[in-house]
Amino acid sequence: MISAIFSLALTTGAPRVVRGSRIEYVCGDPTLGPEKDLAYSGEIVGAALGALTTEVSEPTLFTPNVP
Amino acid sequence: MTQPIKVVHFLNQFFAGVGGEEQANLPVEVREGAVGPGRALQAALGDSGQVVATIVSGDNYFTEESAASARAVLDALSRTQPDVVVAGPAFNAGRYGLACGEVCVLANAEGIPAVTAMYPENPGVLEYDTRAYIVPTDKSPVRMQEIVGQLARLATKLGSGEGLGPAEEEGYLSRGIRQPGLRTDSAAKRSVDMLLARMGGGDWSTELPIRMPDAVVPAGPIADLSNAKLGLVTTGGLVPRGNPDGLVRGGSTEYLRYSIDGIDSLSADDWESVHRGFYTAIVNENPNYVLPLNVVRDVERAGGVASVYPWVLTTSGVGTAVAEARKIGAAMADELKSNEVDCALLVAT
Repeated sequence: MISAIFSLALTTGAPRVVRGSRIEYVCGDPTLGPEKDLAYSGEIVGAALGALTTEVSEPTLFTPNVP
Repeated sequence: MTQPIKVVHFLNQFFAGVGGEEQANLPVEVREGAVGPGRALQAALGDSGQVVATIVSGDNYFTEESAASARAVLDALSRTQPDVVVAGPAFNAGRYGLACGEVCVLANAEGIPAVTAMYPENPGVLEYDTRAYIVPTDKSPVRMQEIVGQLARLATKLGSGEGLGPAEEEGYLSRGIRQPGLRTDSAAKRSVDMLLARMGGGDWSTELPIRMPDAVVPAGPIADLSNAKLGLVTTGGLVPRGNPDGLVRGGSTEYLRYSIDGIDSLSADDWESVHRGFYTAIVNENPNYVLPLNVVRDVERAGGVASVYPWVLTTSGVGTAVAEARKIGAAMADELKSNEVDCALLVAT
């Protein structure tokens, strides 16, 4: 799950939580400019795919890099 | 007559009259006296208390800038020195409920008692029920006067140092705390009475409610993503522009599926969000923010995943009751599993 309100996602028991950007733009950041915005989206999706290949036993937060 | 207690009230931007979702990034600010529902609170307090200040915050700001928000709230409390803090009521507004719970916890840490009110399914209850006094409300502010009256009653007790009795007597949600006390009958008699009532179909209630966590066993990891079929899910209210199937803006009881076959990126010409729980203007310029199809296609082309399930599953994730949300989630999982999808990305707004 990718969410900007990631602490709540963890509390509710979602096993793999990726820290999203902002409530109004979860998967990127238009204030970074088009290039970095897209790179950030890539980091977020990359973190999510990484989460899918990671063994977890409890709600776990995955934090993407911010370009 | 005793001195009136000093009350500081917390409101979000909506109830403070600043604006709706478009003002949800408003930083924490402090107003003198009572604002919005604070006037009703003041009326309910009467001579026993005075709302000396109102702390106002945008819903997004409080969640996203939690450290700065906490500093601003603590600063306001140290300047105003209240006897008690009242937050909300937040009803079924999720971010507002979380903020109200956090304000109560911040106040408590400073030795200031606090009370809030919200709908029992508000995420704020989930997060703060063991740490805050929360008066249960309806989903909507229809009974605002009554709730504010209850808040005033509890605030007066807390602010005057009287403290509160048990949850069921005072009308707040149980914090899961057991206090020692004396009952008239022995445990043996009470348990036999309870058993007889239960077997006879009469009214009975446990003395020790146990809340079962809604535990989800995590799925195992995917061994090789390059062999996996990836599904895409969003609760961001994503629909084809014009919302041809009439997805509700909130309180959804279903999900819809739309084909993304052959689509490389979600264009604002073809897609939009109808979600009522956040300001959608930015998503409506670039819908990939609630479903990053553009990046997922890059991954697919590079062989990062074997394929992408050609339907996106979508709903508006706001104001849905937990039981309904569970049904929607189970139905989504059924669809993905029966189509041999190995794993899924879910963007939650």
